Amino acid sequence: MHSNRYTLIFVFIVTIVLGTILSFTKENLRESQENNLKADVNKTILRSLGFSEKQGSSWSNEDVEKIFSSNVVGLCVDPQGNIIDNIVLEEIDIEKNIEQLPVYLRVVDGEFQGIALPVAGKGLWSTVFGYIALEPDLNTVLGIQFYKHGETPGLGGEVEKKWFTNNFVGKKIRNDNDEIIGVEVLKGKVDNSKKDSIHQVDGISGATVTSKGVTIFLKDDLKRYEAYLNKVKDNGII
Amino acid sequence: MELFDSESKKIVSDPLNVNNPISLQVLGICSALAVTIRLDQAIIMTFAVIFVLCSSNVVISLLRDYIPNRVRIVIMLSVIASLVSFVDEVLQAYMYNMSKQLSVFVGLIVTNCIIMGRAEAFAIKHGPSKAFLDGLGNGLGYGMIIIVVSFFRELFGSGTLTLPDGGAGYVLFQMPDWLYAAGYENIGLLVLSPGAFFILGFVIWMQREMVGLEEEE
Repeated sequence: MHSNRYTLIFVFIVTIVLGTILSFTKENLRESQENNLKADVNKTILRSLGFSEKQGSSWSNEDVEKIFSSNVVGLCVDPQGNIIDNIVLEEIDIEKNIEQLPVYLRVVDGEFQGIALPVAGKGLWSTVFGYIALEPDLNTVLGIQFYKHGETPGLGGEVEKKWFTNNFVGKKIRNDNDEIIGVEVLKGKVDNSKKDSIHQVDGISGATVTSKGVTIFLKDDLKRYEAYLNKVKDNGII
Repeated sequence: MELFDSESKKIVSDPLNVNNPISLQVLGICSALAVTIRLDQAIIMTFAVIFVLCSSNVVISLLRDYIPNRVRIVIMLSVIASLVSFVDEVLQAYMYNMSKQLSVFVGLIVTNCIIMGRAEAFAIKHGPSKAFLDGLGNGLGYGMIIIVVSFFRELFGSGTLTLPDGGAGYVLFQMPDWLYAAGYENIGLLVLSPGAFFILGFVIWMQREMVGLEEEE
């Protein structure tokens, strides 16, 4: 049996050594972790706007940066649809900040080709973050991508999978009266013979709460942009 | 060579059949249920567990003469948790996609009873090279079972088989459309945890039958 003194000293030393190793690791890796995170968000925006990697290859962080800076313009608007200047888009808290709304425009050679808007909201366990992109008619979904969530892999985690996100492409977010109603994630499959099917996508089996969450925050977040979207619709991008 | 004497061989091969951590000792069930929804996750998880298991066994074994008996569990837990955090950080920095895919499961390796169990049952009593082999054997034994379970869960639950490719996964096999057209349906239950219990139960039964293990009265 070791003495109390020995035990305490031993535990103390082990704690210090392990703590030092871990903080050293973290400190050394922080920069590349942050770069990965930023590139991942930009990659999400690019994918939602319809850019895709060549078959069999994937973008490096530098590729993402290059494509992003030459094709995408980011700006910030307020809920009334006015542009706010001098804001660092990356620092906006997408989930909580409802006064400053980031917008990403796909502009290639001066031609407006699509608009990506951040969406975020509660799933079952976590906040799900993503981007939804609209075509220039500001009604048809160009693409949707989710990049951060803590949902159960295989169930709610399927939101980030292609089979799920592909279903959104071509769906309409506005009803006949031009009001924004979002896209509804159903429980089960979409019945294509129904008229509403243009606003609906297949649900994820076993993930009812996540599916409902997506439906709700898509609608809420798109509505926040209504003023700006209508402005762009009438006047084009400024 | 010392590595391949009969005792060392036994240390590696026993956990693969007669003393498998999952099917015979029934350890590590929690994570076996969680990561077996898809084949690729099970494969990546196997590598992560083998790494953590081998290193924690070696570290504990090196410290075994110095660890005060009364606090040994705490020390083991700190070592294991640090190793897992280390793996998590490295994955985030260098294999971002893979780390995203595994998400919470990397952190959950800490709670995998196999790792704690091997530290307590083996590493603390044996030298580092044997402890390493024990970690390897148990890691492979664990991987073997979860890969079998995930194979059936993904195939019959989701109708696909996916291999890890660092990104979203490479789809190796997909149930053909004509099968669905003929009325075949995926078994949704298998995607949920109870499905894992059923398959795991079958695997445990099969393996115990093969090994010839009889529960003591």
